[in-house]
Amino acid sequence: MFKNYLKIAIRNLYKNKIYSVINLVGLSAGITCCLLITLYVRHELSYDKFQEKGDRIARVIMEYNMGGNINKGNYTGTKVGPAFKKNFPEVEDFVKMMGSQQIVRYNDKLFTEKRFVFVDSNFFDVFSFRLLGGNPKTALASPNSVVLSQTVAKKYFGLENPIGKTIRVSGAGTDYLVAGIVEDCPANSQIKYNFIASFSSLSFAKGELTYWNANYTTYLLLKDKDAVRSLQPKIRAFMRNEMKGEFTGSDYLTYILEPFMDVHLYSEYPGFEMNGSITYIYIVGAVALLILIIACFTFINLCTAKSVERAKEIGIRKVAGAFKRQVFWQFIGESGLLVLLSASLSFILACLLLPAFNGLMGREISVSDLSSPALIAAGALIIVCISFLAGAYPAFILSAFQPVKVLKGAFKNTGSGLLLRRSLFVFQFIISVFLIISAFIVQKQLDFFQNEKLGFTKELVIILPADQRIIKKLALLKTELKQDPDIRYVSLADFEPCNIMGGYSMYNPEMPPGKVFSVFAGTVDQEYLKACDIGIVAGSDLSDQDIKDVSNEDYTKNYFHFILNESAAKQMGWNPEEAIGKKMFMDESRPGVVKAVVKDFHFSSLHNPIQPLILIPGTYGNILLLKTAGKDLSKTIPHIEKVWKTIAPHRPFEYSFLDENYKAMYKSEIRLGKAMNIFTALAITLALMGLFGLSSYTIQQRTKEIGILKVLGAPLQYIVSRLSGQFIRMVIIAVIISVPLAWWAMNSWLQDFSYHIELNAWYFIIPGIIAVLLSLLTVGVKAVKAASENPVKNLRVD
Amino acid sequence: MIELKNIFKWVNQGGNRIFLLKDIDLTINEGEFVSIMGPSGSGKSTLLNLIGMLDGFDEGEYNFMGQSVKNLKEKQRSEIYKQNVGFVFQAYHLIDELTVYENIETPLLYKDFKSSERKAMVSDILDRFNFVGKKDLFPNQLSGGQQQLVGIARALISRPKLILADEPTGNLNSKQGEEIMELFTKLNADEGVTIVQVTHSEKNAAYGSRVIHLLDGRMENK
Repeated sequence: MFKNYLKIAIRNLYKNKIYSVINLVGLSAGITCCLLITLYVRHELSYDKFQEKGDRIARVIMEYNMGGNINKGNYTGTKVGPAFKKNFPEVEDFVKMMGSQQIVRYNDKLFTEKRFVFVDSNFFDVFSFRLLGGNPKTALASPNSVVLSQTVAKKYFGLENPIGKTIRVSGAGTDYLVAGIVEDCPANSQIKYNFIASFSSLSFAKGELTYWNANYTTYLLLKDKDAVRSLQPKIRAFMRNEMKGEFTGSDYLTYILEPFMDVHLYSEYPGFEMNGSITYIYIVGAVALLILIIACFTFINLCTAKSVERAKEIGIRKVAGAFKRQVFWQFIGESGLLVLLSASLSFILACLLLPAFNGLMGREISVSDLSSPALIAAGALIIVCISFLAGAYPAFILSAFQPVKVLKGAFKNTGSGLLLRRSLFVFQFIISVFLIISAFIVQKQLDFFQNEKLGFTKELVIILPADQRIIKKLALLKTELKQDPDIRYVSLADFEPCNIMGGYSMYNPEMPPGKVFSVFAGTVDQEYLKACDIGIVAGSDLSDQDIKDVSNEDYTKNYFHFILNESAAKQMGWNPEEAIGKKMFMDESRPGVVKAVVKDFHFSSLHNPIQPLILIPGTYGNILLLKTAGKDLSKTIPHIEKVWKTIAPHRPFEYSFLDENYKAMYKSEIRLGKAMNIFTALAITLALMGLFGLSSYTIQQRTKEIGILKVLGAPLQYIVSRLSGQFIRMVIIAVIISVPLAWWAMNSWLQDFSYHIELNAWYFIIPGIIAVLLSLLTVGVKAVKAASENPVKNLRVD
Repeated sequence: MIELKNIFKWVNQGGNRIFLLKDIDLTINEGEFVSIMGPSGSGKSTLLNLIGMLDGFDEGEYNFMGQSVKNLKEKQRSEIYKQNVGFVFQAYHLIDELTVYENIETPLLYKDFKSSERKAMVSDILDRFNFVGKKDLFPNQLSGGQQQLVGIARALISRPKLILADEPTGNLNSKQGEEIMELFTKLNADEGVTIVQVTHSEKNAAYGSRVIHLLDGRMENK
């Protein structure tokens, strides 16, 4: 019996090639989507699960208020760990960490290395990273020792044993002793490392412990996991006591404990890589599910559409003695076969698409995850579920056919399930139109990022790294670089103009004593405004003399000429003109006057409103900005490389472009945009396939009507509009339902950005029209074909 | 074998009750060959389906082999039907996706025969109908007459006591029709299979031992 079913199932699949292909493609796409997303979600949820003490670890978040500005972040000073351990019995231990980027040299191998992490010596006690060589207790006990990841060890040492050898860090800087080899850090870890160096190597770590200079991440190991909650309320009072005398008024400093396991998905502050987001997981999970639903609905619709053709067979089987139950299982089996085929196809597709998917989601999920028992079990469950969900309805309808009716000439399955089919159809289009609108708006917002006037020019600016040795030769470097007339300006600065950090405070003598404002700030030199094309509202640009004024050997003699942005001037209560020449201080140690006020520019992501910003004249910085004329970069870049090799041979020549770095700030939005485009294309394609199926079905049932109309002399366009009308009406209903949903979803997404596009009606009308046109095309082809057929042929059937 | 008493069947249409069968009293004994005749719409097929238990009735009494059909549950009815009845259709009604062999085998699938038994039974009947060479062909590769022979073979495969044929020769030319009729006569005579056929043709009706005339759902006494 089973063989017989299998045979007929395969022959039917083969006979109805178009339908089989539509179903196969639809289901495969849906299942592939689901498989990949399941992998992703599993990966995200598995973050840090391998940490044996994970539930007892808390990350410390610093929050402080100065002059009414509240700052909060995943940074802490060096004192937090020791002070907490001493004063709170709940705290068993702590680990301070700092991520960095270093230049590493071993013999002739020279690389810039990211993920060079400094950690306290008890790192391997608290975190479950396995040491493959060396002693976990002592490896990081002394300054200037480093543990390499397996991959790094291979990269620098090949087959040699690296333990006991030294690598040179920061170019010609310091030698570090390799004290161990650690397993490569798992893809699902918030702590990411390639090099793990002892915290005691850091020169500034040796100084006095302080709550300030908050450049480190502190993790606390608690005695038990409930301590995260029980400890929290005690911190505020403790810190008030600690900071007594330092603060006045409403200013405060406190810490918030975050459960370590929640950091990756729930925290707004990243670990040592970009965080995931539980919202993101919900969104992609929902979209994958919706696509699977669309595919299933198409499957259901096509199955019922084909049921007229299977009616006779069912009648015969029943007359031959089959019970309803047996026919039911036959059809469930058939859908099971198709789903199994699709699932196998999906598995192969998922393997093939995983690298691209990893790129899209920014993760490193390995193919081997696909064969994990849990996923295979889930896969089997999905197969069974879809077979039933998609197969049960058609099977139910088909198995209920009355043989007498089916076998007696004309059989029309009118009415039955029509409402359900239409609902499924409308639902498919609600999803599709919703996704089209969303993708459209996300794209518009992405365009906005690119085209919004930022207040500086991001094009044609090359970014190079800077360090002390380079700064020493800065004058020479500038002269040499400018040998190429295409290089207009060379500026040394702390930050790119799109990514300036906060953490500074300022005040002026007119303010009540003790009151300060916290501001964003960074050092710049006399060419920064020109290189970045930042407009001056009042005052004048920095001069060479201004830089000299801050270059004194004895830094207490430095006198600063500050540049404020309009918001900073406003916060001080000055208009741009009256700000010029006003006295002010940055962090007490920097006295000076206001030299210029510049137009507000977007110095951080468009997520955030423009804050008060102060550009400090300085003689140090992290980067060089080269403004080029951009006439012929293929000549300019080799020139820069040549100069670099002679003046900074200790650093590999690595450069980037400001506009690319700017774009990278919106990585997660660009990622969302790409994912949306793919999902949307998939959803609408599957929905159109469903429409094709449903319209074929209806038209097939209406051949007689078409024939009669033609015999009566109805024109082609009348028949076509009569046939497509109901579908187009349903699509329009779907559009009408999805518009408010999309408006709500997109509006709340846009609220995340301080600067965003305004929703206007066209963003909804255009996708709506697209959906209707695509549907019209799909139905139209079928309708025209049916309407052009010879009526005699259709009428003779009955 | 078959005993119909005061059978009524109707449908309600627009407030009117339209009778499909009116007061049918009919007894058919085992081994009979009965032909039902009458014009289109007289209720012939309805009566046949009713006898075959594929269709119900609204009033009256129907005993099949001594059992009252009316009180049987769907499943029991199916069971009796499966064991005893074979159907032959005007339009053959073969499953297009199955070969001759598989079409004939179909009823056995629903009767819990072992695979080897099924094989033997199908081979046997293929032999009898001279279809061995055509067993792997699909219905659309056969002529109408051949298709109907397959249909009959399928009806016979499970050795039913009763064969119900709804205009079995309606789609065939006269020579093919004669062959089918002769086959029926032979089955009836040699194996004692009870046959009830619906037909339009006097000639075919004459093959039977008894003719029942229907007009507007009522039996006519000739």
